[in-house]
Amino acid sequence: MVLPMVECFQHIQEELYLEYLHLLLKGRKDECHQVVQSLLKDDIAIRVLYTELFQKSMYRVGELWEQNRISVAREHLATTITESMLNLTYPYLFQGNYSGKKAVISCIANEYHQLGGKMVADIFEIHGWDTHFLGANIPEQELLRFIDELNPDVVGFSLAVYFNLPRLKSVLDKVRGNFQNLDIVVGGHAFAWGGIKMLNTYSAIEYIESLNRLEKIL
Amino acid sequence: MHSSIIQTAEKLKEPSVEAQEAFSRKLETLVAKGNEVMVSRPDLAKLIGEDNREMAENNNHNFARFMESIFLVYDPNTLVETVLWVFRAYRSHGFKTTYWAANLDIWVTLLKEELNPEYFDEIVPFYKWLIVNIPKFARLTDQECEEIIACGTPHG
Repeated sequence: MVLPMVECFQHIQEELYLEYLHLLLKGRKDECHQVVQSLLKDDIAIRVLYTELFQKSMYRVGELWEQNRISVAREHLATTITESMLNLTYPYLFQGNYSGKKAVISCIANEYHQLGGKMVADIFEIHGWDTHFLGANIPEQELLRFIDELNPDVVGFSLAVYFNLPRLKSVLDKVRGNFQNLDIVVGGHAFAWGGIKMLNTYSAIEYIESLNRLEKIL
Repeated sequence: MHSSIIQTAEKLKEPSVEAQEAFSRKLETLVAKGNEVMVSRPDLAKLIGEDNREMAENNNHNFARFMESIFLVYDPNTLVETVLWVFRAYRSHGFKTTYWAANLDIWVTLLKEELNPEYFDEIVPFYKWLIVNIPKFARLTDQECEEIIACGTPHG
């Protein structure tokens, strides 16, 4: 396969995105791997890779499921391939100057979509933070204990589905109640549906609408 | 039509914290009983399409959790946009609009059985609003669903 050239490292060409999406939907992970390695070799910014290739393609995969054009199995295959693509960026995550700050990034209990949270954790890492990504479905008490042990500077929550909002509220109540001075950031696809009003009822909780916004505040 | 639905949704009143909590406490019971009633219907396949029983049960659970979120922070726009998404997605998978009429009737019956009258009166307007607006949600999603079905065999 001949890959289209990346004209500008700050954006991914539509042609290359469509080629990657096609490979992803067909489950051709080795060729997805080649596309991503090629972009990394060409010094693509990690945020651009995440938003313009991984996030964009997975949103499209979700739409295709919604339209009954792909099965749940194929949707899950695309997710696992994308997770493996994220691992390819590992050698590029530790180039920033160590900030001396610690971050905990987590999904809440019963939230099984962890791709967004992993991307957020990687962006923190790139910016020199010592980042602890806890992954999907973390029970409240375990999370509180971990925060207590680590004493991080910031905790981030990723929420993918809107109907997990009550569980997020429960976690925020407890984290804010137990760690009054801890900075909290929250983001995720769930907020495309609403829910920001609930976040605004807390002090020192910032809603982060995109990885671009996250990079600006780090 | 879209904006007129949002205007009617704006008239719904967020339930009290006590009513929200009563709903949350009963959520799993309501889902389990509702699924039992729904899957026992002889016309189930006509409502949800073939081989969609698991999807219908999952949808009902997600619907309950969605309503719990709506009661927590009521946003009319979120309610309307999410219902439109559900209609698009599930109709594309073979669910008929009559499924929502049947399922929402089950919900109203079970809410009356499980909640005390005061909390029922705060919660049920949302379900009645959904029932009344089924034809509008159907019409708003008709064209898109027809286009998707016209595209041919799924899972290509």
